[in-house]
Amino acid sequence: MTPERIVALILCLAVLVASLRLLLWHRAAGAQASLLRLALLLLLQPLAAALLHTALFPPTTTAGTSSLRVATAGTSRLAAAAGGAPLILLPQAPAIGGGEAVPDLATALRRHPGVTSLTVLGNGLGPRDIDAARGLTVQYDPPPLSTGILHLAPPPTVAPGARFTVGAILTGLPTATVELIDPAGRVTDSAAPDRDGHVLLAGTARAAGAITFTLRVRQDRHIVEQADVPVRVEDSARPRLLILAGAPGAEVKYLRRWAIDAGYDVTTQMSAGGGVALGDAPVAITPASLRRFDAAIVDDRSWTGARGALLAAVRGGMGLVLRAGGPIDGATRSQWQALGFGLTGPAGVAPLALPKADAEPVARTRYGIGSTEAPIDIATPEDYLPEISRLAMTPGGSGAVPLLRDAGGATLAAWRALGRGRIALFTGIDSYALTLTGRRDLHGDWWSAMLDSVARPAAGIRVITNSGWTGERMTLCGLSSEGRVDGRVRILPVAGCGGYWPDRAGWHELNGKDGVRAFYIQPANALPVMRAARDRQAMALLPATAASRAATMLPDRTGAAWPWWLAWLAVSAFLWWLERSRTGRRAAADQSAR
Amino acid sequence: MSALFAQWIAPARRRAFADTLALALPPLSALAIIGWRCGGPMIAIWLTTVPLAVTFIIARRRAARFDRRWLIRSLDTRYPELEDSSALLFADDAPLSPLESLQRRRIAARLDRGAPQELIPAWSTRPILILGLLAVALIAAALLWPRPGEGPPALAPSREGLPARPGIPRLVAQNLRIIPPAYTGLPVRDSAALDARAPQGARLEWTLRFDPQAAAPRLLMLGGQPLALRQDGANWIASRTLDAAFLYRVDPAAGRGPTPPLHRVDAIADAPPQVKALTDSLTLVTPGQRNWSPAFAAIDDYGVAANARLRVTLAIGEGENVTFSEREIPVGGSGPPRNRRFAPRLDFASFGFAAGGDMVVQLIVRDNRSPSPQAVRGPSLILRWPSPKQPESSGLTGMVNTTLPAYFRSQRQIIIDIEKLLKQKRGLAPDRYLARSAAIGGDQQILRGRYSQFLGGENEGAPALPTADGEAHGDDDGHDHGGPPVAAPSVFGEKEDVLAEFGHPHDESPASSLDPETRAILKQAVDEMWQSERELRTGHPDAALPYAYRALRFIKAVQQATRIFLSRVGPELPPIDASRRMTGKRDGLASRLLPVAPVASADGPAADAWRALGDGPQAIRGPIALDALDRWVRANAARLPDPLALSGAIDAVRRDPACATCRVKLRALLWTAMERPAGRLARRRPADAVGMRYLDAIGGAP
Repeated sequence: MTPERIVALILCLAVLVASLRLLLWHRAAGAQASLLRLALLLLLQPLAAALLHTALFPPTTTAGTSSLRVATAGTSRLAAAAGGAPLILLPQAPAIGGGEAVPDLATALRRHPGVTSLTVLGNGLGPRDIDAARGLTVQYDPPPLSTGILHLAPPPTVAPGARFTVGAILTGLPTATVELIDPAGRVTDSAAPDRDGHVLLAGTARAAGAITFTLRVRQDRHIVEQADVPVRVEDSARPRLLILAGAPGAEVKYLRRWAIDAGYDVTTQMSAGGGVALGDAPVAITPASLRRFDAAIVDDRSWTGARGALLAAVRGGMGLVLRAGGPIDGATRSQWQALGFGLTGPAGVAPLALPKADAEPVARTRYGIGSTEAPIDIATPEDYLPEISRLAMTPGGSGAVPLLRDAGGATLAAWRALGRGRIALFTGIDSYALTLTGRRDLHGDWWSAMLDSVARPAAGIRVITNSGWTGERMTLCGLSSEGRVDGRVRILPVAGCGGYWPDRAGWHELNGKDGVRAFYIQPANALPVMRAARDRQAMALLPATAASRAATMLPDRTGAAWPWWLAWLAVSAFLWWLERSRTGRRAAADQSAR
Repeated sequence: MSALFAQWIAPARRRAFADTLALALPPLSALAIIGWRCGGPMIAIWLTTVPLAVTFIIARRRAARFDRRWLIRSLDTRYPELEDSSALLFADDAPLSPLESLQRRRIAARLDRGAPQELIPAWSTRPILILGLLAVALIAAALLWPRPGEGPPALAPSREGLPARPGIPRLVAQNLRIIPPAYTGLPVRDSAALDARAPQGARLEWTLRFDPQAAAPRLLMLGGQPLALRQDGANWIASRTLDAAFLYRVDPAAGRGPTPPLHRVDAIADAPPQVKALTDSLTLVTPGQRNWSPAFAAIDDYGVAANARLRVTLAIGEGENVTFSEREIPVGGSGPPRNRRFAPRLDFASFGFAAGGDMVVQLIVRDNRSPSPQAVRGPSLILRWPSPKQPESSGLTGMVNTTLPAYFRSQRQIIIDIEKLLKQKRGLAPDRYLARSAAIGGDQQILRGRYSQFLGGENEGAPALPTADGEAHGDDDGHDHGGPPVAAPSVFGEKEDVLAEFGHPHDESPASSLDPETRAILKQAVDEMWQSERELRTGHPDAALPYAYRALRFIKAVQQATRIFLSRVGPELPPIDASRRMTGKRDGLASRLLPVAPVASADGPAADAWRALGDGPQAIRGPIALDALDRWVRANAARLPDPLALSGAIDAVRRDPACATCRVKLRALLWTAMERPAGRLARRRPADAVGMRYLDAIGGAP
């Protein structure tokens, strides 16, 4: 028995007793009795009791609306003026007026208890508000996306001097040209989007540091949109590389030269036959000695002798690049096939289709200034193409990931995992000819790509490529413990994720036990289409459940008690006055006075 | 009669002509002077030529107005004693009536008393005077009109954009006069802005005015010695020769006021001349050639010296006995200075150039830069006098590639010649027809000889001729053989001679490697040629034609068969015998270290400054130490695309460290001044514990 019921029982009893007393009193009053007064008193007493009860236990509010319209960014005036449920203006909404401005959706829901359904206008709720809308019935009819950059994929961490690729998806711009502008303002790459609007652009990094390239979308000579492409160039510890070759040759010579210039600690072993070895100080090829190398480049002739040790080292995490010094024999082919590279195609050697060299102005932006040791040597599209061949068989297969392709689309290199390490297979032969004909960059790009893919992993700075915008909550995930952003803001992860509200555009760093993560915050007005598309996607992912929360939440909500108190007071006062007044008793009084 | 007329009319005509010229001369000379002042002598000449021609036409027209009618009229008016009969004097030669003759005689006597000079019209003095005065005024104005670069310069208002502060001098007006070196031929020019581009070696003269008057203003050269200004009345002047591009600022108040902006003067270097060969790089001496004129064109931005030198290298001799001699001869060019043409004529006799030799010429031109003209060597041109002895064919492949198609062409050419001759048969004299036919027969003989060479020369010898008519026929018998065949025998024939010289090469014949079928076809072709030749020599080209066609068909067959048979093959090396590898002497062979010298490369100050200016973690918001960068830019100026712009940007940042646009600009310029290191390794991230377990599970732990 709840207090409410006890009180109600007591009140009922009181009313019953009072009514009984009134009736008795009325019968005893005789001539003085007034029927009207009795009726009034009999009526008002249960009313007063009922009011007292409701004042003590005010009923849950059923007043207010159950539906709201929420204006978000990109809401059109027309949609807002359509009428219906009350309009809520979130801060992102344009100044359309005619609604209630709230700092966020949660505030609006607090102000309007009992709301069970929302109609979202505009681009959708942002990360700040999306959680508040969970559990409500959300009606959302997305407006058509405006044209622009639908998605921008900046590169993750880039090594100094490396070539990197920026991806973008355009929407509604089939004839646009996309340009990548380097920090000096020169066009370093340009391309037209494919049918689905995808476009890939390449640039080159210089020394370590943070760079901002610019992606510019042009249509008919005017700029449709441009966005910053953040690139983080980070150097890593000096990797150790082992080069094994069955015979000395130009390929090994230039590979060694390139690797030393690229900052590798190179150990070269070239067998000259009859036990004569050339190169660096000899190392024993055992799993234990290979453990100190991060990667190894091995040709088909030296592969046969060192196979067991190499594979053991790869399982332990070392990277291995297998290359062919010429047409390979059947035994090597079957061994490599056993590693997971489906070497299909004829035996022998096929010519390699080289990509066309960049036009001179573009090529100039890709190179830095020359040095005395390595002056700039730019190949032009008209230049002589070196004769480079490849194995006619291609290292495809379901288990291998294609890594390099030549201009004809044939796979030049593929990699696959083996234990903790990775193995790549390069089918190009005599790639050194590239360095002699002004295509040193392509040679470097190929070998960098292969070693980047397979070399032993190492901890280092990590770049989070998810875009964030200033003034908007972003979620940083994968945190195992507390971290600090820029040494100022603490991030306390819940289930591995923490929220962060950036207030400044540019690079931010999250320092924690897991290492350093860098992320870039775009200015609030950058990439509007991408932001709208993200919000829209989040809206689409909202669970379509009915208003479950409203049903459970409403009983807890009691209405205001004071009106009931006032009503009770008024009724009680009237009662008191009626009892004390002489209304309806005048006749008796006159009689007694007489 | 006409003599009399001419005598009387000529003075008047001369006067009219002279009068017109006198009228036209003042305006023309004024035009010439104005043209010369504005555009130089060439323009003046062009401007005057056309009006002068027009003047002459008008003068002639005016003179032509003094005709017979005018003379008769004037004579009659002037001399009443002629009794209005002067017309009789100048009448046509038509017979006169006796009365007319009488009157004419009378008058002729009277006419002698007058003189033709009396009929001369007066000079049109007044118009001449007025035009002359006008012309003098115009000429004076043109001569006295100030030209840019002459006289005191007009100062332009300054745009330094600095706030005026009381008591501190400020640049208010400026002029930069650029006096290019005389050899460039460029005019003196006044620049209103203090930034300029001028030819290297030009003299720069600044004229500046300050308000209030400055005490000791200077021009501060960025990274150089300051240049003191000298007072000249109200202005301050300074001058300097432009050796290289530089940045400077005008410092009116010796550093007391705000720092003025930088100005840039770029030096346009004198480009070295470019020599282009207009002749092919390899020319062969044609028979009968006695000299050679290789042609070169030389262009330069300011002008090529008219005299150049030609380096002639002679290689005389053959085989191993080749002697070289080299000499330089002066050659003169023609054409405008900026685009000269050199075409020296080289006499073979004077050089001792003979058959079997090579003459290599190279033009060395200089531009007219002073001092130290720039000399440039042009491309080498080779003149080759082929040796009378043909170089021996090195292998069968070469012959298949070059000679067989030539044979093929040749047989076809003979057919074409025969058909041509048959067409022309009607218009030719019989003996000439026979001679032409025999000439074609001679070509056919040569061709047959070439083919029979493949058969070991067994089909040598001429067909028996019924007459000896064709025997005397040769190449230089004075008539045309009609196009290509003339040149063709000279090549083919030589080869024929070579074979003949060495006798009868039965077994060394290239054809000895032919298979019997091809040999048979070839023999048939040669037989057909023999028939064709016989008919031609006997003067029956129509009868020769079917044989020639058949020969062509056989040759085609041979050619195709031969091409397959003689396809090019590489050398076939014996397989490597692995058992014999490394079995020789191996003294002194051992493992060796092959050291590689690493190239020391560091980021350098450019990358440091780049990071400091950016927004990354190493960014510096406040002032940045740029001295190291500045030194580096100076030291590496040759490697940088635009070191001066970089220096200017460094200076701007140093001057105002808070200037955001200056920092952005410097950073953009630094990007172009950074080396791109060889692609370093980008490490992938290690897998976490779960990932490790997964990888171990699928890959098999070591």
